[in-house]
Amino acid sequence: MAEKFDNLEEHLEKFVENIRQMGIIVSDFQPSSQTGLNQKLNFMITGLQDIEKCRQQLHEINVPLEAFEYIDQGRNPQLYTKECLERALAKNEQVKGKVDTMTKFKSLLISELGKAFPEEMAKYKAIHGDDPPLLVTPDL
Amino acid sequence: MTEMFSTLYGQNEAQGPPGSSSLGFGPGKPPLPPNQVPMAAQMPPQHGDEGPALRKPGAMNEPFYLLRELPVGNELTGNTNLITHYNLEHAYNKFCGKKVKEKLSNFLPELPGMIDCPGAQDGSSLRSLIEKPPVCGNSFSPLTGASLTGFRLHTGPLPEQYRLMHIQPPKKKSKHKHKHHRPQDPIPQETPSDSDPKKKKKKRDDDPDRKKKKKDKKKKKNRHSPDHPGLPGSQPNSNSLR
Repeated sequence: MAEKFDNLEEHLEKFVENIRQMGIIVSDFQPSSQTGLNQKLNFMITGLQDIEKCRQQLHEINVPLEAFEYIDQGRNPQLYTKECLERALAKNEQVKGKVDTMTKFKSLLISELGKAFPEEMAKYKAIHGDDPPLLVTPDL
Repeated sequence: MTEMFSTLYGQNEAQGPPGSSSLGFGPGKPPLPPNQVPMAAQMPPQHGDEGPALRKPGAMNEPFYLLRELPVGNELTGNTNLITHYNLEHAYNKFCGKKVKEKLSNFLPELPGMIDCPGAQDGSSLRSLIEKPPVCGNSFSPLTGASLTGFRLHTGPLPEQYRLMHIQPPKKKSKHKHKHHRPQDPIPQETPSDSDPKKKKKKRDDDPDRKKKKKDKKKKKNRHSPDHPGLPGSQPNSNSLR
């Protein structure tokens, strides 16, 4: 997996370097530079062909569109990963709090119902006694 | 079905305690005709939207009505630390433990050009590429001699309006020298043919001038300092009031 990315990265770096050198040639063009420029143009086309070949190996890779927004704003896309992780952790904590609260409520409700309706609660526990426990419930 | 409801609400008028009517089903469980009890128990299992099926016939679950099975719980819930579960601790420490730099050039330091500017300014955004992909052929074919004639350029430097496009922002000088040497990027109003010796000569010329200026500054500082013996103002009793 990493090899595919390394291969693509290498081709992209060569392509960008070739374009940069073309820019240098063009910035102050001399007649003797024409052959070099023609060569660079053909290198550019072969570079595009190589990148096209890499595409077939990476057709299963999905990139979130939100990461593109960071790049378009000139920001580091690793900030997107960071914010995703932080949001996931915050949501995880929030849901854990809800689960814990509901578990405590369930145990409290069962205990209070057991005090108010002991016979009915005994029947209820007999019915649900075969069911597997859904959550980690504290001892009643 | 309608007969069942009518019997329920019909018997509510004459009967009982107010508390059990709060749910709207009447004071107590009305005596249903025997043929309708299995109908309630034989209701078809609900598909997803209305929850799990009725567990047992209603008569078996007395005094509970419409007692359903508890939903099957997932082993993985928000109760567990999902970052640990998916082995993302290393990634979390890497991205959230350390400070991640803001600019795109910190992520791609080798990429030339002004990449920290928004792409919408010069039409180089990825979003525009996705929304309007360029129309191109199926394959890339090398340029022939005839097509290369279109790339014959005029000699001389670029016009001023195009010069600044390829200039990179000033990079911080690194202490470690790079082993590989890259051809230098062009500087405005200078050509790549201007080689390093000229720059070195300029530096050499500047150095003696700089030294002279430094010496002059030092002399001025020493003149105005209180420790200098030659100045009248430097004597301790010269400015005292009499």
